[in-house]
Amino acid sequence: MPSLNDYLILSAVLFTIGTAGVFVRRNLITILLSIEIMLNAVNLSFVAFGRAFGTVEGQIIVFFVMTVAAAEAAVGLAIVIALFRHRESLNPDAFTALKW
Amino acid sequence: MNMDALHALVPLLCVVAAAIAAMVAEAFRSPGERMPIAPLGIIGLLGAAASTFLLWNHKAESFGLVIADNYGLFVTWTLIIIGILSIALSIPTVEREGLPAGEYYALMLFSLSGMILMAMATDLLVIFLALEVLSLSIYVLTGIRRDSPVATEAAFKYFLLGAFASAFFLYGIALTYGLTGSTKLDRVAEVFSTTSLASSPIHLVAMGLLIVGFAFKVSAVPFHMWTPDAYEGAPPPVTGFMSTGVKAAAFAAFARVFLTSFESMHDDWSQVIWVIAAATMVIGTVVGVVQTSIKRMLAYSSIAHGGYLLLALVSANQTAKGAILFYLLTYAVTNLGAFGIIGMLETNERPRDQIRDYAGLWTEHPQLAALMAIFLLSLGGFPPFGGFIAKWYVFTAAMEAGYSWLAIIGVLTSVVSVFFYLRVIVMMFMTPAAGPMPLPAVPKLAGAALLVSALIVFYLGVLPTQVMNWAAASIGTIF
Repeated sequence: MPSLNDYLILSAVLFTIGTAGVFVRRNLITILLSIEIMLNAVNLSFVAFGRAFGTVEGQIIVFFVMTVAAAEAAVGLAIVIALFRHRESLNPDAFTALKW
Repeated sequence: MNMDALHALVPLLCVVAAAIAAMVAEAFRSPGERMPIAPLGIIGLLGAAASTFLLWNHKAESFGLVIADNYGLFVTWTLIIIGILSIALSIPTVEREGLPAGEYYALMLFSLSGMILMAMATDLLVIFLALEVLSLSIYVLTGIRRDSPVATEAAFKYFLLGAFASAFFLYGIALTYGLTGSTKLDRVAEVFSTTSLASSPIHLVAMGLLIVGFAFKVSAVPFHMWTPDAYEGAPPPVTGFMSTGVKAAAFAAFARVFLTSFESMHDDWSQVIWVIAAATMVIGTVVGVVQTSIKRMLAYSSIAHGGYLLLALVSANQTAKGAILFYLLTYAVTNLGAFGIIGMLETNERPRDQIRDYAGLWTEHPQLAALMAIFLLSLGGFPPFGGFIAKWYVFTAAMEAGYSWLAIIGVLTSVVSVFFYLRVIVMMFMTPAAGPMPLPAVPKLAGAALLVSALIVFYLGVLPTQVMNWAAASIGTIF
């Protein structure tokens, strides 16, 4: 039976993988997926804490976060499509109209 | 259900109703028909303003998640003023560029509802949801000129970094929930002040993650990279809206969370925010000096202004809390006016966003040049404009709280920043125009909005006492 700590460590590892993905991957869709991994890592923490406290609060929060993640994905993909129409590329290095 | 429970939500519901009305109006519009959608939004906002007046001093609370205390209401007023001015100043841009009016105003109103919710929320989860409501609408507004590669790219950069930062913010909420068993701010405050665990590593991590989330939204260094790009790519009225509204809402929640729930850990977070505030003021000013685009220059100026607000947050005394509210209001009106003028000077052929495009504005359009000069001088902190009083208020608070070094950095950067504001003014008044400057007719509503902003800037600079007293009174209700 895994303990609360195991879940929290898994969640931290997933969050780190997501963060690394945002910096390392050079494809817009993969970067969006990495952000989804980060959000779901946090969801795991919420569920684990909720279960440890024996309340439903943690689980309910996850529903809200999932809704937000879905809305975010919709807006994000729409922007990616608009971007792709201009550049025909999904590589973030191709977007140089604005200086960082 | 008891209807009283909904009282605190009335201002929010007015804004949402206006947003839905705008969407429905757009859906039923026959092609080619013109609909007064902007005035519709303004009417909704006036309703929200009226309801906040009725709620003043009542401290209405809804479901233990949203509270209409005077602090939240003061920020709501600021946000409603931002909303009304933004809608009025958007009219010329929306008409000239042929943007879909229904979508544009609906998104602006939805974003505003998220901002109002954020200012009034007393639960970390609601703050997160409000943050997302306001951000998602703003991402779309930034990229609403779909045919422009610059706008789309700006929207994507803003979206990517925004979503990234909100994941950090959410992780901070999860850890806080794990430490305290609740996401309610008062409950979190209770647990943090009674446990001896405060300052254990996990507390610090939770606090740090929340700071990252907020610092991103208020565009504090080192989380400011998106700001110049997003501000440059978005249509100018949207830039004005997001540079003021997002900042006001995020600072309201930032101050509420860190001055109530995390109050007992002030020693820990004040050091972090000290460094962030100093870096924000210095980088915002220094990089602002070398910009040639007026939008990017104002973006860095807006970063620097975030630094002054952080300075007030670190000070955390009574003066500082009033100063945050006063500063947000002054900054909002001034910046909106400046971006409103940039929006009016744009033409379909050229964005006219380089500083040298402003040469000779005084001879071509003296009214706009005079108003622009007022806004820029107020941003630079010249008396007798509101910006001077706001900065003076913030620096006084920092001196009282014993952060004299930070106050010195603030005064120095503020002196340096005068350089880039004056550069535009010199351009406008003393350099001859390179060519004719076509200016489309300024709609009455937009012209009135500019005039009102200038009058408010004057009023706050000359007779600030009344508003300062309101700000001080609103602080008394929560801290």
